[in-house]
Amino acid sequence: MLASINWLKDYVEFDQRPAELADRLTMAGVPVATIEELGKDIKNVVTGKITAVTQHPNADKLSVCKVDVGREVVTIVTGATNIKENDIIPVALVGATLPNHAEINASELRGVMSNGMMCSTTELGIDSKLIAQDVRDGIYILPADTKIGLDIKEVLGLNDIVLEFELTANRADCFSMIGLAREIAVLTGGSLKKPMVNVREAADEKIGRLTNITIEDSSLCSRFACRILQNIKVGPSPLWMQHRLQAAGMRPISNIVDVTNFVMLEMGQPMHAYDYNLLAKHSIIVRKANPGERLTTLDGQKRELTADMLVIADAMQAVGIAGVMGGLATEVTNRTQTVLLEAASFNGASIRRTSRALGLRSEASGRFERGVDTANIMRALDRAAKLLEDMGACKVCQGVVDNYPNILLPKQVAFTPEQINNYLGSSVEKSTMIDIMKSLEFQIETENDKILTTVPTWRGDVSGLADISEEIARVYGYNKIPSTTPFGDINRGSQDYTQSIINTVKTTMTGAGFDEIISYSFSNPQVFDKLNVPENSPLRDAIPILNPITDDFPILRTTLTGGLLQTIVYNLSRKNEDMKIFEVGAVFWPEKLPLDKLPNEHLKLCGALVGNRNEFSWDSGRDCVDFYDAKGQVETILNRLGISEYEVSLGEHYSLHPGKTAQLNKDGEILGIVGEVHPKVLDAFGINRKVYLFEMDIECLTRKAKLIHSYSPLPKFPAVSRDLAVILPIEVSAVDVETAILKSAGSLLKSLTLFDVYMGEQVPAGLKSMAFSLTFQAQDRTLTDVEIDGLLKNTIVHLQETFSAKLRE
Amino acid sequence: MEAQLKAMRQEALRELEQITEIDTLTEIRVKYLGKKGQVTSMLRGLGQLDPSERPRMGQVVNEIRTELEECINAKREALKALELSHRLASERIDVTLPGRKPLIGHKHPLTLTLDRIKNTFMSMGFNVEEGPEVETDYFNFEALNLPKDHPARDMQDSFYITENILLRTHTSPVQARTLQATEPNKPIRIIVPGKVYRRDYDATHSPMFQQVEGLVVDKGIRFSDLKGTLELFIYEIFGSNVGVRFRPSFFPFTEPSAEVDISCVMCGGQGCRVCSSTGWLEILGSGTVHPRVLEMSGYDPNQVSGFAFGMGVERIAMLTYGIDDLRLFYENDMRFLRQF
Repeated sequence: MLASINWLKDYVEFDQRPAELADRLTMAGVPVATIEELGKDIKNVVTGKITAVTQHPNADKLSVCKVDVGREVVTIVTGATNIKENDIIPVALVGATLPNHAEINASELRGVMSNGMMCSTTELGIDSKLIAQDVRDGIYILPADTKIGLDIKEVLGLNDIVLEFELTANRADCFSMIGLAREIAVLTGGSLKKPMVNVREAADEKIGRLTNITIEDSSLCSRFACRILQNIKVGPSPLWMQHRLQAAGMRPISNIVDVTNFVMLEMGQPMHAYDYNLLAKHSIIVRKANPGERLTTLDGQKRELTADMLVIADAMQAVGIAGVMGGLATEVTNRTQTVLLEAASFNGASIRRTSRALGLRSEASGRFERGVDTANIMRALDRAAKLLEDMGACKVCQGVVDNYPNILLPKQVAFTPEQINNYLGSSVEKSTMIDIMKSLEFQIETENDKILTTVPTWRGDVSGLADISEEIARVYGYNKIPSTTPFGDINRGSQDYTQSIINTVKTTMTGAGFDEIISYSFSNPQVFDKLNVPENSPLRDAIPILNPITDDFPILRTTLTGGLLQTIVYNLSRKNEDMKIFEVGAVFWPEKLPLDKLPNEHLKLCGALVGNRNEFSWDSGRDCVDFYDAKGQVETILNRLGISEYEVSLGEHYSLHPGKTAQLNKDGEILGIVGEVHPKVLDAFGINRKVYLFEMDIECLTRKAKLIHSYSPLPKFPAVSRDLAVILPIEVSAVDVETAILKSAGSLLKSLTLFDVYMGEQVPAGLKSMAFSLTFQAQDRTLTDVEIDGLLKNTIVHLQETFSAKLRE
Repeated sequence: MEAQLKAMRQEALRELEQITEIDTLTEIRVKYLGKKGQVTSMLRGLGQLDPSERPRMGQVVNEIRTELEECINAKREALKALELSHRLASERIDVTLPGRKPLIGHKHPLTLTLDRIKNTFMSMGFNVEEGPEVETDYFNFEALNLPKDHPARDMQDSFYITENILLRTHTSPVQARTLQATEPNKPIRIIVPGKVYRRDYDATHSPMFQQVEGLVVDKGIRFSDLKGTLELFIYEIFGSNVGVRFRPSFFPFTEPSAEVDISCVMCGGQGCRVCSSTGWLEILGSGTVHPRVLEMSGYDPNQVSGFAFGMGVERIAMLTYGIDDLRLFYENDMRFLRQF
């Protein structure tokens, strides 16, 4: 909402500078976004009258004009073609400045001195949207009765300052000059002057015989009132009104239209003028659109209407979309003789739906959506009629038609100052509260401590104690209310177990050199192809977004891996080549599509490794990560979470190398999967080096984790270590050998570490050597060599029997 | 014999003088003090002396032996010291070469910021709650006093999945969820961190961003409690010198509502590009919980009251670290992430 200071001063006197005023309004909940000083760059531009136009002696395309600017007659050379003798035009005199920062100097043009410049609207910095089509091009020809020698800023209403308000949705009342002026009056102590609305009704005819109004659905239209204006003389509205409209960002069109816009801006009540003679049977029906009904609106667009849209119709057809925009067919034109002037109140939600469905938002629809002051409709109608009457643009017929099925009664709220102060934590005096409420035009009755207030009809947002508190607080000043801390029992803040698990995971990851990323929850189905996800995989059942922001992101992600690989691609192309990254976030798995209930949101941890294993150092070469770095990280996380005794097996995952994928299970649940990214997947992403990936389920980790566990006492007797190297077939996996050793070596075996795996010349083809270090320890005695030899022998025999293993000598 | 002893002593000291290797020191020791060494044999020879001579000569031999022992030891220490200093000199390295750094990862700046926010509120007795990112229209809007076709819905352009399911546009639905999950009128003091989604994308808007919501409900909670709590929070995050102001605003789920501004951390309130020359930065939306919101979730607004607030984590992180483009948070460029 734009509001000019000059216009506001029609309703309230104040002498605060605009910046100060804006600050006060902002701090009272009526926020001012910008302050614009119109014409601030225009200097020394005056009105002048062209007294002679002659052809330039040395140039075909130039004319030489004599221009009377009041105190002198100046010679101006121009290339403009739209001027003629006696035109009144804006003249930038020598020394003038214009909004484009041009300074006007006397200059010689092909041998003739030019002492100034005639200006177009563009050169004066006037937005072409705000002026009539016929004066947009060429020199701005002013009305013929414009006095000469006047400052152009005065003539064009540019001696003004415009405040741009960013109003909140609740303050419908502030979408009007009077509403804003009321706030100014409240905040500056001024008094509000409302315009006179006494209509003379000079026409002989009575309205009752001229029209009738039917409202079919009073839940969508709570009031419809009209006046009829005869002897219409369509013409331009007075300059003062045009300037007001322009300052508010609206283009003057004609006296009739301008007055409806003016009253809408002034009082917040949208209005519409119909050409009475073009209304079938001169009647109005407020009804829902018929199926398939169409209407060409004032902007020339043909609109398809649907049955839930409210229209204004005559006896035959729709003539306007209620509260949104009027129809072209019944528009007021130069030929109009009689006008039916509408002021009505429509259901905000209905208007909003219609306006959204049509993609058509107007000044009117915005106001109806927020809600207009239904009680003020008659004043608005009279104000418009009076303005037109005073301009001599019409004669007003006697009476009004006012269809107002359910009269709205003002709301009342009762409260005590104590209640308000308890709610706010303040100590505002009762008298201050009453003063504030009265200045906002709330009617007040008091009875002992109790205050009974009647809410003004324009304050649809106020209905209870909380609202009254806000009114008092915002005018009194939020910053004058003390700062306290809540009462109540001492409370210890905490987070849930999953949160603690996530914290532990993140700390473990970053401690191990992994950087955390956060990627969008949005994804693209093409990612499934790139990730080699099978056609029938449920992962492909991603939730589609009805209105995605771009075609790149039409679905919600079902896996984090795509985002990680995408991040690697992004960084490789920026020469960030060594990465250990991870993300913790939700993936979205619907039970059924389309959704009939909320989908499952699963928290996942996903990590990826590529490039150097360690931080670069000047004395070591490149040493790239491999599968075991990724697996080691998974094992470290499980260790930090106190999860042990899980099984590791060769796993299967569509995105991972079939021979380099491990799956970690515990109690039949998958803790995680880790592997080298499949070459096909790397190709699809355009990654030309090996990447390792792991994925773990946070919820599963949470179920298995034991963040705090009891300690094991330190041993009192020494441990004995023995090395054991065996040669066995290549296919035997490490985990099977370890299991066999653990099983056969007995409970005195405290730790088992694989320290070497060898394949090559030293062992026969098809075999490998594995070397383990075994540590034995007893809680109650020092072990003897005999005991340990016995245990080792058991182990060797068991390995021989199970894997045909041989002891490596 | 005495002359012989003197000569031997002199010879021994001379030899010691010339020694440069610790190994030769042992030879000298054997030569003089060993079992068959010269001093030892002198001691043995004492028996052949006149008994009256023996004590004196014995003393002389012993003195020489002690002296030689001390000298050998001293020489050994000197040689060791010399050897060590040679070794140390030869082992000198270029200490200005870069050290070998362990690989340390980095938490995302939004995680770091969120952790600070969480810790601040947890120390004030707030529990951390979470809720779903895909939400029903009911919890996202209606239970927050935002009925369908309410103009305030324009404040938040939503991503819809079905007519009644959408990506939550704020963390506020967890307010209603928590109220409904709690026994009516029981105290609540929670913060809710989480991802939220709106249809906006430019240097200052991301279609996904993170919020922290707060809700306090109890008997006798006042607007002034909101002010005090949020001021404490702001001083903790931005330092106690920062200016704070509460500006009336509108949210359908609070009444009265307030935006909270802090004095611009970039220019100190003088006015700059970051604060659009106003000297203030908006960082929080807040207000007293609207009675309708309490009512809809089964709480009785005549018995309890509360306040709620919400903030963008990106906004706080941008101000904390001086980041000027919101998109950096989700591009995951390592050169950015490794700065934190």
